[in-house]
Amino acid sequence: MSAPTGTVRPVRTARPPRTGAPARRGVRSVLWHLGALALLAVVLYPVVWVLGGSLKPGDEIVGSLDLLPTDPITGNYERLADGIAGIGIETFFVNSLLVALGSVAGVLISCSLAAYAFARIRFAGRDVLFALMIGTLLLPVHVLLVPQYVLFQKMELINTYVPLLLGKFLAVDAFFVFLMVQFMRNLPRELDEAARIDGCGHWRIYWTIVLPLCRPALITSAIFSFIWAWNDFLGPLIYLNEPDKYTVSLGLKMFMDQDSLADYGGMIAMSVAALLPVLLFFLAFQRYLVEGAATSGLKG
Amino acid sequence: MSSRRSRVAGLRAMGAGLAALGLLASGCGGGDAGADGKVTIRYSWWGAQDRADLINRTIDLFEKENPGIEVKTDFQEYGDFWTKFNTQAAGGNPPDVFQNSYAFLRKYGQKNLLLDLNPQVKAGNLNLDDFRQGLGRAGEIDGKLLGVPVGANTFTLVYDVKAFEEAGVTPERGWTWEDFDAAVEKISEPGEDFWGASSNGGVMYLYDLRLRQQGKAFFTEEGLGFTEADLRKWWGDHRAKLDDGLLVPAKQAAQVLPKSEVSAGLSAAEFTWDNFLARYVSETDRELALAPIPTMDGERTAQYLSSLMLSASARTEHPEEVAKFVDFMVNDPEVGKIMGYNRGVLPTNAQFEAYEPEGPDAKIAEYEKSVTDQLEPITPHPAGTDTVEAAFLSIYRSMAQGSVSVDEAVSQFFDEAKTALGS
Repeated sequence: MSAPTGTVRPVRTARPPRTGAPARRGVRSVLWHLGALALLAVVLYPVVWVLGGSLKPGDEIVGSLDLLPTDPITGNYERLADGIAGIGIETFFVNSLLVALGSVAGVLISCSLAAYAFARIRFAGRDVLFALMIGTLLLPVHVLLVPQYVLFQKMELINTYVPLLLGKFLAVDAFFVFLMVQFMRNLPRELDEAARIDGCGHWRIYWTIVLPLCRPALITSAIFSFIWAWNDFLGPLIYLNEPDKYTVSLGLKMFMDQDSLADYGGMIAMSVAALLPVLLFFLAFQRYLVEGAATSGLKG
Repeated sequence: MSSRRSRVAGLRAMGAGLAALGLLASGCGGGDAGADGKVTIRYSWWGAQDRADLINRTIDLFEKENPGIEVKTDFQEYGDFWTKFNTQAAGGNPPDVFQNSYAFLRKYGQKNLLLDLNPQVKAGNLNLDDFRQGLGRAGEIDGKLLGVPVGANTFTLVYDVKAFEEAGVTPERGWTWEDFDAAVEKISEPGEDFWGASSNGGVMYLYDLRLRQQGKAFFTEEGLGFTEADLRKWWGDHRAKLDDGLLVPAKQAAQVLPKSEVSAGLSAAEFTWDNFLARYVSETDRELALAPIPTMDGERTAQYLSSLMLSASARTEHPEEVAKFVDFMVNDPEVGKIMGYNRGVLPTNAQFEAYEPEGPDAKIAEYEKSVTDQLEPITPHPAGTDTVEAAFLSIYRSMAQGSVSVDEAVSQFFDEAKTALGS
């Protein structure tokens, strides 16, 4: 009897100063939420503008400053159904999905393997190679553009998706390798030492111990590589030569040119459509992100 | 147990992924020459989907009449087009035939990227006889035919008919810059968001005409054809007009981009190429019309025709087919009917007569006919023209915004122009 009351008492004595606060806390909470909502409005403004614009007729999009259409129309979306320059828009989405999902697969496989080697295997020149790999982050894209183009041109791989995907399967994205290396270094070594004592080789440790524990890093990499590949413009622009192989980012640009009347309505409707897969991908995976972070390292 | 199964499944998935990539590689690599003896040529241009729709129809016609040739198309927006073209050219893989502009002929000609089409003309694959006003040889530089015009345009003043009527000024042949300035002054009213003219002091082609009227030109064969003092006068005049509230201020002009100031209802007059009328008319409810460029002496506008061209790549493996393709695109009347004035007024008589223009196109045709007898040879465009043109516009804009003075702007432009033209 005495022991429970003994533990409760200090809580009780601590309460009075806290119970006096709710009113002030309430005000502070309201202010906090108002501030957050104001920030949200600023952040979401462009998205609302795009959504509103997609329902406006073309001349109102550039001419009027109103956020929402006075007289909403769906013509912009209906026009999309007719395709762009004789190509159905689903073609662009299928192509983009192929490139984006291919990139995700490539990054997850190759970068995690590379990261495992850097984090867990001692081999000659590891630190130098690691530094070199980080160094590639500093190379501007434009320096690589022409040599890479020449390379793929000699290999007769222009106008295929290979130039866009091959690098992903060869762990060229140093950023993801770095991310995973940092994550793996924080995993307790005791886990793979225990596995080794049980007779596991590197492959087994990588696959059954390290990879499952790396889920948050893998999901982060998946989300980023999906979004980057989906939004990539320069790569598809340079390497794809036929409009029916184009990705969504190239398709978006088909609505305008300096020489002609731009179809802003169609372009903005397409932008909204192009946002959806990225949004869905993020929504589908972001819960794993949190879940993974909460449980990592606790699995026996 | 479960981990072993998942490992096996995972490795299998990984293997499948790599195999898929391999398939992708083997499936997509296609050769140039088809097994059936068909020749494939690659054709690219800049433009939006409306131009692509038209061009695709003309290509269908071409392929029907030339069953042995297949045309693969590719198009981008203007800026992206050149990014891609430059990468492809550097990589040794440019398209066989592509849309070009007079401004780029020397630039790419000097780099030996363009095919001399004269041998094909001699061989009878490309006919230049039917071109209007000697346009057929417009793409000839140092004896090499580097481009063939697909459309020709000349400079003009797009003006708001009602505003000029109210000001009591009729923009007509032989009018002078004094007439123009008087109209601009009458139209501009302080306190209202409407100005007499767009702020066009950064438009290279307008300044070129102004210089030509004084017996100079923007470019000589080697470099700039005017002095720092000339430019200080030109930009100084614009600065003064901006300060007096006669030209659309930089801020308002920037806000309506990508619309032009005249179609956004900010100004009553704008100097531009005549084919822009079609676009402007569709962007505004005001009545717009075309007028000749004002003169210094009441006679000479110094106007010329410039054109979008088709050029062939020097590396093409099929020069004969490319020449036939260009020939078809510029001479076939049906192509003219389909294309209309999408790339400018049609270049050959056969096409010009086959197409019956309506609406803004009719105004453009009428305008071009009315200035035909005044047209002069074009100013040479040295390599680096595109860079100089962009610098001229952007430096003028920062001067108009007030972030640099006229003197600073002029010396900055001369520095950049020297670098661009020096290489």
